[in-house]
Order: sequence, then C-alpha cells, then structure tokens
Amino acid sequence: MKKTICAGLFAVLLAPATAAAQAQAPKGLGTEEFGMSPRELVQAIEKTEELIARCMREQGFQYIAADHNTVRAGMTADKQLPGLSEEEFVNRYGFGVSTFYTGLPPQLSTGYNPARVGLGERNVQIFRKLSPADQVAYNRALLGDDVFSTLAVALETEDLSRTGGCTRKALTETFKPDQLKASHYNPQDALINKDPRMKAAIAFWQREMKKAGFEYGHPDEIEPDLRNRLSALTEGGKLLVIKMSQDQKAALRKLQDFERLVSVRAHKLHEEVLTPIEEKIQEELFSRKVQ
Amino acid sequence: MIAKRINVLWAILGVVGGMALGAWYMGSRIQSPAEIAARTAAPEASPILVPVESRVLSSDVVTRGTVRFGLPQPISIAPSTVKGAVGLISSLPRPNANFGEGEVILSASGRPVFVLSGAAPAFRDMAPGTSGGDVRQLEEALARLGFDPGTVDGNYDQKTSGAVERMYKKAGWDPFAPTREQRAAVAALEREWSDAARAQLAAEATRETAVKAVGAARATAEQNTRQAALDSAARVGDSRQLADARAGKSLALEAERARAAHSATAASADVATQVADRALIVLDPRQTETARAAAEAKLKVARAAQRKAKLEADLAIQTAAREAGLADERIRVAEGAVKAARLEGERNVRAAQEQQTLAEFDVQAASERAGRLERELATARAKLGVQVPADEVVFIPSLPIRVHEVSAAVAANASGPVMSVTDNQLSIDSQLPLEAAPLVKPGMKVAIDEQALGIKATGVVETVATTPGTRGVDGYHFYLGVRVETTPVLLAGFSVRLTIPIETSKGAVTAVPTSAVSLAADGTSRVLVDRGGKQEFVTVQPGLSTGGYVEVNIPDGGLAPGQLVVVGYKTAEPAAAK
Repeated sequence: MKKTICAGLFAVLLAPATAAAQAQAPKGLGTEEFGMSPRELVQAIEKTEELIARCMREQGFQYIAADHNTVRAGMTADKQLPGLSEEEFVNRYGFGVSTFYTGLPPQLSTGYNPARVGLGERNVQIFRKLSPADQVAYNRALLGDDVFSTLAVALETEDLSRTGGCTRKALTETFKPDQLKASHYNPQDALINKDPRMKAAIAFWQREMKKAGFEYGHPDEIEPDLRNRLSALTEGGKLLVIKMSQDQKAALRKLQDFERLVSVRAHKLHEEVLTPIEEKIQEELFSRKVQ
Repeated sequence: MIAKRINVLWAILGVVGGMALGAWYMGSRIQSPAEIAARTAAPEASPILVPVESRVLSSDVVTRGTVRFGLPQPISIAPSTVKGAVGLISSLPRPNANFGEGEVILSASGRPVFVLSGAAPAFRDMAPGTSGGDVRQLEEALARLGFDPGTVDGNYDQKTSGAVERMYKKAGWDPFAPTREQRAAVAALEREWSDAARAQLAAEATRETAVKAVGAARATAEQNTRQAALDSAARVGDSRQLADARAGKSLALEAERARAAHSATAASADVATQVADRALIVLDPRQTETARAAAEAKLKVARAAQRKAKLEADLAIQTAAREAGLADERIRVAEGAVKAARLEGERNVRAAQEQQTLAEFDVQAASERAGRLERELATARAKLGVQVPADEVVFIPSLPIRVHEVSAAVAANASGPVMSVTDNQLSIDSQLPLEAAPLVKPGMKVAIDEQALGIKATGVVETVATTPGTRGVDGYHFYLGVRVETTPVLLAGFSVRLTIPIETSKGAVTAVPTSAVSLAADGTSRVLVDRGGKQEFVTVQPGLSTGGYVEVNIPDGGLAPGQLVVVGYKTAEPAAAK
C-alpha cells in the first residue's frame, strides 16, 4: 500500500517535468536539418557556399556559390523524379543509392542525381569544360574523397562526416565540431526517438524488418549501410560501371536488388508506423506540423 | 477510518500536484522585465585580436592547369624495299616509357627500330651508295652516339656502314647484312657484265675485221680502178684500131693485104716464071715431052699456088676485116666490164664501210652496256655493305621522347602509325579569366603546386592567348601556357595549381589583416592596437593589399610584428550553427 502511495506521489511530482519534456521543444531547437531554424539553415547554406567559393578560388578553380534555393533543390531532389511519387520511386529505385550508380562524378551524370542539382547548373557547366585531370582535381578540391557528398546531400542526409575538400573546410567554419561527426544526431530526431511511443514504434519496426530478413536498428541506418556497401564494391565510388568486371557487375546488381527490397519494406513500415507517431510528436514539440 | 485517511491523503496529493502544475505553468509564462531585458540585451562584445605580422605580400593570380608533355606527335614506320614483306610487331613500349637517341623503341619480326634525332622522317632504305639529307641525319646521329661515321657529308660510305654496324652491335642486334636477293642480283649483274664484256670484245673484233674489209675493198676498188685505166687505155687503142679498121687502114688488114699482094706477086712471078720456063721448054724441041709436061705441070702448080695465095690473101683480108669488126664489140664489152668492175669495187667499199660502221656501232653499244653494267655492278657491290632499312629507324626532331599512346598491337603489321610520342618538356595547359589575362605576361614566374601530394614546382609563363576562346578554352577565358622548369617529380597528367605573382612587396613588410585597418574622420588610415587590454588607435600608411592582408607603414615605427590589433568584435554565436 505504502509503495503504491509513494509511486503515486512520485508520479504526481514528476508529472510537470514529463509534461514539460513532451510538450515543448528545447529552446533554440529548429525544425530544419541539424535542428536549425529555417533562417539559420539559409544563413548556414549561404555562408558555407561563399566559403566554398573562396576556398575553390584559392585552389585555382572557379566555383559559383550556389544560392539557398539551389541547395534546397538538391536537398529536395532526394528520392524524387518527375512523374513519380516517393513510393513509386522507392518501389522502382529503392533509395537511389546503388540503383543510380554509374561511377561518374555527379556533374557528369545525366539522370537522377541530387548532388548535381545541389551544385547548381553553372558549376556543372564549369566542371564539364575542364580537362579530365582538372575534373578529378576539381572534385577532390571541392568534395574530397566522396564526390557524392555535396553540401546539399550532406545536409539532406544530416551527415557532414563524409564531406571533404573545400566543402568540409567551409562546413568547419559554419557548423559546430560535433555536427561534423558521423555520430552527430539531429537533436530533434534524438528528442523524437526518446519518446516512448517512438521507441515502441521503432521496436516494432525492428521486429518487422527482422521478419523480412533485414537486421537494422533504425531507419536511419539503412542508407549509410547501403553507401558503405556500395563504396566497398566500387572502390570508394571511383569505379566506373562500364569498367567493372562481370563479377563486380553481378555484385552491383545484387546490391541494387537488396536495396530495392530493403527500401520498399523500410519505406512501407516507416510510412505506416513511424511517420504518424513522428508527426504527432512533432506537433507536440512545435505546436504545428513540421514540413 | 483508514479509508477516510487515505482519501484525505489522495486529496492532499491532488492539491499538491495541481499546485505544482499551476506553479510550473505560471513559471513558464510569467517573466519579469529584468528577465526580458537580460534575455534581449546584446551580449558584451569582446575584441578579436590578431597579431601584426612581418611577411612578404604578394598579389597573385591563381588558376589551375593540367600538366602534359609536349604535343603528341605520331610515329610512323616507313616501308622498306630491301625487305620482302612488312614485318610483324614483336614488342612494343609501354605508355610513359622514355627513349633516348640510339635506343630501340620497338621490334618487328626480330628486327629493331632505332630512335634517332632528325628533323626529316626516314623515308627510304639507306645503304652504301645512297646520299641525301636523311643520310646526313644518320651520320650526325651516329657521330653523336660516338660511332665515327667519317665525314658527315650526306653520303653513305663504308665508314658510315661500319658505324651503323657498330651501333647495331652495341645495342645487341645484328646489323642488316645484304639480303639473298641483293646477293643474287649482284651475281646476275656480274654474269650480265661478263657477257657484255665478251660481247664488247666480239664487237671490237668485228670492227677490226670490218676495218680490214674496208681496206681490202678499197684495194680491190683501186685495183679495179687501175684495171679500168688499163682497160681504158686498151679501149683507146682499140678505138684507134677500130677507127683505122673503119678507115681500112687496119695494120693487120694492111699486112694481110700486103702479104696477099706479095703472095699474089710472088705467085704471079712464079706463074710468069713457069710460063717462061714452059715456053722455053715448049719452044725447045730438045726438051722432052716430059719436060714440057713437067713445065706445064709446074705452070699449073704455080698457077694453083697463085690462086691459093690469092685465096689465102682474100681469106686473111676477110679474117682481118672480121677481126676489125669484132674489136668494136670487144671495146664495148671491155668498157662495160671496166664500168662494172668499178661499180663493183665501189659497192664493195661501201658495203665494207657499212659493215665497219655497224661494227663500230656494235662496239659502242657493247661498250656502253658493259660500262653501264660495270657501274651497276660496282653500285650493287657497294650496296652489299651494312644498310639501314627504312623500317628500322625513326627520326624524331627532339629527344628524348616519352611514349604517349600506343596505337599498334603486337603481331600487327609494322607499317604506318604505331604510336604517338611527346618530348620530355612538361607544359601546362591552363586558362585565365578575362579580368586576369591582361595582368599575366609571358616570362612571368609561376609557382606550381599539387596540394594533395605536397608537390611544389616552378615554371614560367610561355603563352597568353591574345583572344579568348582559343585552344580549347571557353569564350570567357584566355588560354595560358606554362612551361615547367623545375619539378621534383614528373607531374604529367596532374591537375596543378598555378600561382602567378603579379605584384609583390620587396621582402618582408609589416602587415595586418585588411579588416584591422579603418578610416579615421580626418581621412587617415589607422589600426586599433591592443596594449595589455587597453586599446589605442595608431595611424598607419597602407601599402600593398593582397590576400586579406595590407602592408602598413608607421613613420615612427610604433607597430611591431607580434603586437595585437583588433579586427572585429566577437558576438554570441547562434545555438545551432556558429
């Protein structure tokens, strides 16, 4: 009896704190990537692009700082193709990680490529006029080892750790050091993931995925895993598909099939299980639906 | 009782909980003016200090370029006529392989292809006896390689042949000896020349015979001429005799007539004698009848003799007359014979002369043929030395070379273009923006670096295009060509950064960040110097400004490297981003 009374008293005393945690987001937490507000994101993009342009100029390359809209277009181009809904895109191309891989740098690709969109058409044209050696050096100067981790892609995936070159140099001046690490997690997402409802939903998601034969702890683990597998298969994304051996092509096809399967299942579960809860929690956090 | 107490306790807990919620809600909503002021007040700014530096300021044009060797030029193998067929490539160099003069760049059908320096390409086989610019190139190359080719005169002589042989042997290859066909051709020439020499001797013998024949013909003609003269004289005599005959004054005829007259006279005298004798006898009775008969008989005999003499004289005269008549005929015959003999002699002489001419022509033709064959034989024999087939040497204007791209494959025909090469001079193709192009001039020094590998090199501006859009750059850039002068590694194929100093300070100068310089109300430039927490404006004279730094000159030297100047003020950073 006493235990019950004490538990009740503890619950009553803890209720305000719990209510506070669930009812309102921490001060300064925005709804955009990396927990930034829309204004902060715009400022960060503009400043980063300016620093990238300056860095590239110091390297002897011409780079036109992309405006916020261009970078935002690159971010929103993720899993988007004209005439296809996101579900149709996922059904056909998975998450678009290995299914669109050609080995070409983003500026030379012609199909779906959010990285190319985020760089801006002028920079793409500048790149295409360079000699092959200069193109390699240009992307190395701009992007480092991972030529697909442009600013737009890094922001969209909220993973700045894969960036390199002038992009990373600029990001170090516009983002905090912990935000540049692979271990960094969006505070908003972290907050949502701490929610018991989300925890339960993720546990359900894990079980369902496991039943389908996929061992993932969180939906955010899938795309990095696909990128790592693709990177291992393509020598860090530098191997052209047309130069692949038959075995390598077979392995790539296998990875693409795997990506489609895991993407379809994960996307369906995400939309059915996680998204409703996430939106509900976001509404509670920000008193509105986050776009 | 207990239940009542419990209900009271629950009520108390409910009240406490409600009060807690109310207090929390009120606390989150109510803010004091001081809190609001404190929250919205500008943070206290702190100065951002940077040290004054002593550094070399340089205004640079920075661009990128791709390093390459010289422009690729194709290497073609010319077909060789001394070889029966085109060889098959048996070994090829790898791209980026370097070759110097005298080295073997590839092999075909077991034969080497040497690289030699020369402006004109190899276009024919070079063998003893050939001469020309290509041979001169060969001799010059041999001389550079230390194989003495004798006088460098463009003539492939035995010394050249020996030098070529030494070059081949030093490279580990057998020199190209005369082919079986060449030796067979020489042997055939030798046979032909031998036949021609014999034919020449035969023709000369024929000519000698013809010369003698001409002499003989001339002698015969001369003899005939003499004979003709004799015949002519005879003809004159005969003509005179004929004339005499015609005039009846033929000596023979006259002689016969005289003899006939004499015989007639003698016969008449004998007859008269016999008549007289018979008359004496007849008139002398003492004569016997026999004597009379004898006298009579003698008379008859005399008369018979007289008649005989007359007949014989007539016959002799007739014979002489007939003989005289025949003489004219014989003269004509003799004249014809003389003429025929003369014509025959002349014809014989002409025939002999023609034979001599033909013989001399034959001698000349035979001599010319023999001479020609002798020269050809000498040439062919001279060509039997070591030679350089056209497909065993390639002349390159500038050495050493570097293989750029190999277009031929092993086992392919060693003919025509097989690869492209470049020289070893590193150049950089780059471009300049429109606004930077006028600042860059040929001859300017260029700092070259490849940051990823930490490579630093130096170069010099070689070309700045005068119009944009040339040599592969777009219409908004000028082509920039840079020649690499010193480099620790071969940068071919690398994309490098080019830094071209346009204006530099003369040595290290005192410099501060541009943001540290501000403009005072009186128009002077000044920097805010931090002196142990206390800040003080110092008037400066700005100089060259580049790279975010500006040169500052202070008349009294009141600013030293290491001192701190204010470049701005630090404010609170955003929560999410810096």
